[in-house]
Amino acid sequence: MFFHILKKDLKRKKTMNIILLIFIILATMFLASSVDNLMAVNGAIDHFLEISKVSDFLAVALSDGKEDEIARFLQDNENVSEYEAIDTFNLVNEDIKITSCKEEPDKSRYERTNTLCVGMVPENFMKVFKEDDSALSIGPGEIALPKVEADNNNLQVGDKLLIKLGEIEQEFEITAIVKDAVFGSPMMGFKRMFISKADFDKFRLQENLTYTKLYSVNCINKEDFKSDWMGQKFITISSVEGKGMIRMCYIMDMLIAVILIIVSVCLILLAFLVLRFTIVFTIQEDYKEIGIMKAIGITDMGIKGLYLIKYFAISVIGAFAGFILSFPFGKVILKQAIVNIVVDRAEQNFVVNIVCAVAIVGIVLAFCYLSTNKLKKISAMEAIRSGSDGERYKAKNYLKLWKQAKMRPYLYMAVNDILSSLKRFGVLLATFCLGVMLILLPLSPANTLRSDGIIREFSLSLSDAYIDTGKGETYTVDMDSMFEDMNEIEKKLEEKGIKARTGVDMGYSMACSDEDSENSIVCFVLQEMGSWDRSYAVLSGKEPELANEIMITQITADELGVGIGDTINCMASDMNYEFIITGIFQSMMDMGKGCRVSRNADINREYAAGIMCIQVEIEDMESEEVCERLEEIFPEYKIMNAQEFLSNMIGGVIDQLDTLMVFIVGIVLIINSLITILIMKTIMTKELGDIALLKSLGFTDLSLRAWQVARVLIILAAAIIIGTILSNLAAPYIIGPVFAMMGATSIELVNATLKDYIFYPLLLFIVTGIFAMICAGGVSKVDLKEVNSIE
Amino acid sequence: MNSLSVKDLCKTYIINKRQNNVLRNINMEIKEGEMVSVMGPSGSGKSTLLYAVSGMDDITAGRVNFFGKDMSDLNSSQMSSLRLNEMGFIFQQMYMLKNLSIYDNIILPAYQSAQNKGREKRKEINNRAKELMHKLGISEIAEHDINEVSGGQLQRACICRSLINNPKMIFADEPTGALNQQNSKEVMKELNRINAEGTTIMLVTHDMKVAAKSDRVLYLEDGNIKGEYNFGKYTDAQESRERERKLSNWLMEMGF
Repeated sequence: MFFHILKKDLKRKKTMNIILLIFIILATMFLASSVDNLMAVNGAIDHFLEISKVSDFLAVALSDGKEDEIARFLQDNENVSEYEAIDTFNLVNEDIKITSCKEEPDKSRYERTNTLCVGMVPENFMKVFKEDDSALSIGPGEIALPKVEADNNNLQVGDKLLIKLGEIEQEFEITAIVKDAVFGSPMMGFKRMFISKADFDKFRLQENLTYTKLYSVNCINKEDFKSDWMGQKFITISSVEGKGMIRMCYIMDMLIAVILIIVSVCLILLAFLVLRFTIVFTIQEDYKEIGIMKAIGITDMGIKGLYLIKYFAISVIGAFAGFILSFPFGKVILKQAIVNIVVDRAEQNFVVNIVCAVAIVGIVLAFCYLSTNKLKKISAMEAIRSGSDGERYKAKNYLKLWKQAKMRPYLYMAVNDILSSLKRFGVLLATFCLGVMLILLPLSPANTLRSDGIIREFSLSLSDAYIDTGKGETYTVDMDSMFEDMNEIEKKLEEKGIKARTGVDMGYSMACSDEDSENSIVCFVLQEMGSWDRSYAVLSGKEPELANEIMITQITADELGVGIGDTINCMASDMNYEFIITGIFQSMMDMGKGCRVSRNADINREYAAGIMCIQVEIEDMESEEVCERLEEIFPEYKIMNAQEFLSNMIGGVIDQLDTLMVFIVGIVLIINSLITILIMKTIMTKELGDIALLKSLGFTDLSLRAWQVARVLIILAAAIIIGTILSNLAAPYIIGPVFAMMGATSIELVNATLKDYIFYPLLLFIVTGIFAMICAGGVSKVDLKEVNSIE
Repeated sequence: MNSLSVKDLCKTYIINKRQNNVLRNINMEIKEGEMVSVMGPSGSGKSTLLYAVSGMDDITAGRVNFFGKDMSDLNSSQMSSLRLNEMGFIFQQMYMLKNLSIYDNIILPAYQSAQNKGREKRKEINNRAKELMHKLGISEIAEHDINEVSGGQLQRACICRSLINNPKMIFADEPTGALNQQNSKEVMKELNRINAEGTTIMLVTHDMKVAAKSDRVLYLEDGNIKGEYNFGKYTDAQESRERERKLSNWLMEMGF
């Protein structure tokens, strides 16, 4: 008898059971893939650094290939447990020529994103991986490029490069795009390409080539080693603490990961929402039958058992299907989000997904148990009356039709239904709200990074154009050539009748310490040079004006334990400069560490470590026009506007965010459509009688469709308003800390723009509306005799 | 003039691949202003006939003519318009939308019918609804929820709703079936009054007392009209007993 009722139930309520099954599949898929992704993303960078074998300490230094005093020091130092020195050759744009590019067949000029070198595939430290996360191996005549370099030059696997070093030149075919844990991050100002040992040895045979040596050091005692190292005063391009610093370089990827976490949390919330809705709804649907079962003497436990078995059967099937689907779904989401990191998904995901699927079965049964618990308290007749005891004290009719002077009946019914059944439509509202937040929250970092003001958060001033002459390294050793180039630019522009001013921000790598030298950090000290006169953003105090004045970032101030009015020492090699702090600023460059001295500060040019680019300012001309004119006059230089320059500096994170946005919008649209269809179908099943009644009263199918669609669109409109408010309120707490980690402790986030507020809601309206319309088409199939199904 | 003219009407259901002929070649006419009851044993096809001739249900064969319009020629939207403006329906169960008050349920079809006609028309509708409710004695329950009133009051509210658009004809399926004797009397009194004002009524009933108040009674058995009894207009409550007695005798002859 028990199973007979169950069998009949499964057959007769096919639609509702299928809807429940689909919801369980979706819930499992969302939960399993999201939890799995959360775990993967959370430990992704650590895992990446681990498998790449990133050492405790890293250094990059130039060498003639003969004397290596750093290697000697490392060998003798008692605080070093192991070390490796890797030989590479520095490459400038002129050393590389594109000989084959599928995307741009005519292209031959290669443009580096930053300092670039070529070396062999590392075997012990600083390992690299292919895009599919497998280990890199390179044969003769082959070359592998980091993703940022390949993207910057529109290169892909199969394209060819000609590299000339000294007297030897060789053509290489690109066989892999690599993920490089140490230098792959766009924030890292050094990139490397990989060739085979045989090819590298060919170049190495030449005399008089300058090597760029990469040192990886694991220490017994890090602090003692650091102290020993600082004492040696080696001239290096860069020396950093390994894992800690490298981890911070992936901050942009963490930004993407934070967005992925937001997506995952929203999907998990959604899974619970839809599950609760469906189970409560389907059990309410059955109240009448439950009442009859009670009336004929079936015990509460018997009824409960019946439902538990039914939901167990459906949830096991649904959870299994969801479990299977969670793998491709999670993989697609993760693949869209994380492109620079090797993510470890192999070990935990099978177990995590199983746990999530089992959890869904448990949750379904718990919801079912709690929903059927209510049955104990109500009589058979109350159950037959669908949970109502016949007593009503307050009418639910909040909105009066007769008070509506103009509102059309279908619209009135839609609004009145929502107001009368807020709980039922609340699920749809919450789903849509989450969708809106899912779209608007990631727009905040994307728009902030795209805003004009953001360049000031990188310690730079806003200019009309940014010129990369490709001679950055040359300028640091021969600063006169830089001034010559700047004068040349101004002169050539003047010949064309354009009055321009040029400038650069010169960077010195210095060890900065407080007055007592108790706390010390290595950071970039910037100095403005050239014919222009810029002002920089200051959080408190004022910009340095005198030769002995300096402003420092909040993070530097915190680390050194100093403030405005205090004195700090900046040391390069054997020279020590003393500065008085006049102001505090913020910078996302170098993870928030940095200083800026006045143009009057007399720092030895020998300590120059690099410049970003030459900036150009032209009065009475828009940036776009300036760039166009400069491109005409200087075809050999790379001309960028502020946005392009920033993109060049921080890598493709904005493009990546844009791609992710397309993906998120796609997911939101699919979820909205799916939930709309399922919830509309569910509600329509309950409303068959009402629809039939309205039809019998003479309502056309069109007006009934309009009634059904209007409800969805009204809820969507409300969700857009609520979601927008919530996103704007939540953004500083969710996105703000990510920027703070990068150094922008008090950044003004740029939320969605007016265009976003129009485009995305419109898109949601159109797509959701179309699916609601399709689903509402079901009203034409409702038989008028269904009027008898009104309870 | 005929309100309703039915020719060779057949309705067949296929249940488990078996053909079930519920209505077989029904021919009937109802004149304008007439009140006709359909009686018959359970399963004889009374409700099916009502739904078939009112366009609520598809027919398998035959033709139904409603005030000169052949319903087979009308599309779905024209049928909706016919139901909205020219027909009124009363069901055994007092079906109303739960989320609307009694008053809003009553005026809903009229608002739908007059949706492009502006504020003045809505005022007119409200006046008419109040007048109808007053006539049917349910003014005091206007703002009540449908669960807060008695079955009789609710059925009278349903009658108000069916009359709100001044229909030419009312179709009633067991209008007193769910009511007690007192409420049943009141509802029939209202239907007779409406009929006296010129509205054609076709109703299905099991109750002899109800049927005795109509002008004509059709007896349906196995999907066929087996006979009809013509009373003439019901005018006086005092003649009720005599009409009921005559009807009872006739029904016994019919085998009811």
